[in-house]
Amino acid sequence: MPRLPNTSPQTLSVLALLLESPRSWHYGYALSQLTGLKSGTLYPILLRLADQGWLETRWAEPEQPGRPPRHTYRLTGAGAKTARTKLAEAAPSRMTRRLAAVPGSR
Amino acid sequence: MQMPGFLERLADGLARQLLSWLHRRVEPGSREWLDALTAESECADDGWQRLRWALGGVPLVWTINQRRQRNEPTRGTMRARIVPGVANIAAIAGWYAVIIPAIYGATHFLRCHLSFGNQPGGCQEHPFVFASIAIGGAVLGMIIALALRARFAAYWWAVFAVFNTVGSVWYLRSGIVDLPRYGATQSAMLMAATLGVVLAAIMRETPGTENDHGPSAAHLIAGMISFAMVDALIRMRDRPLVADNVSHYAILGSAMFAAILAGLIRRHHRTPVERPL
Repeated sequence: MPRLPNTSPQTLSVLALLLESPRSWHYGYALSQLTGLKSGTLYPILLRLADQGWLETRWAEPEQPGRPPRHTYRLTGAGAKTARTKLAEAAPSRMTRRLAAVPGSR
Repeated sequence: MQMPGFLERLADGLARQLLSWLHRRVEPGSREWLDALTAESECADDGWQRLRWALGGVPLVWTINQRRQRNEPTRGTMRARIVPGVANIAAIAGWYAVIIPAIYGATHFLRCHLSFGNQPGGCQEHPFVFASIAIGGAVLGMIIALALRARFAAYWWAVFAVFNTVGSVWYLRSGIVDLPRYGATQSAMLMAATLGVVLAAIMRETPGTENDHGPSAAHLIAGMISFAMVDALIRMRDRPLVADNVSHYAILGSAMFAAILAGLIRRHHRTPVERPL
């Protein structure tokens, strides 16, 4: 059965992190460090979220001279709302699966 | 020399080279996300971290190119499939309908008959007339196909333009001294020209080189591979053919000329408009 869009653990971890401060702009490198995702996993997720209108992107001026401008991200209003729903839906089902895996939990 | 320092610099250099190589694999209008990843690589603390970060560019580029292919506006529409098909058929069949009567008209006018032997009265008595018709016909067919944006037809006529040109030079240089070799050499030249065109046509171009108009190294490599393949086949089947230098050069010329011509057609046919993601 095909998986529902944006419900993979990696995508949910990115959404959860972005939701912690939905109005702030986030850098890709920091997101990678905080979620533990490699750049090859993180960037396709960000790209897909931006395509779907969940994510707003902006080029920010570099903090140090000589460095290239940096791409920053934050959730859109609709993105934040949908992300909250997705995370709420995902949490109980994950909890159920984890409980089922523990011997003697039923 | 300190090994860790050297290895770190090596990793850093590799990371930069990889990012630069990946950059060339993406259309200019679709580079935003790769530029984002590249800019963040500056935050890495050392060369190894930068290399690990840069390696993530590989799946990203794959995702970007997949998305671009999905978003191509004409992809999958019925009209987009029918129009090039009709143009290709028209450019091939239509032009044959002109060339064949032209050849028969010339034989009638020159009072000779089409023959591929050296007997008196054959078309070999008028090599320049028939070579001009054959070469001119194929080149004009290619130009018409390019004007109609019929790429397959352009490749088709490119094969015959090469075959007829190299074949005419080969014939004028060596004539028919050994009839069994004549057919074998012609077949080998045609095979080399076809392979050269096919390989150069399927060879993946580096995006972002829209302003280059000459044949690239990739096309020359395609020509060399075609020649090597035909040469290997001949050596298995008809070794005396490769012993003859003129015939051998004719096969090499066919493969190289065909690959270069196909490269030029491919560049000419490329859509000039950049498509954003």
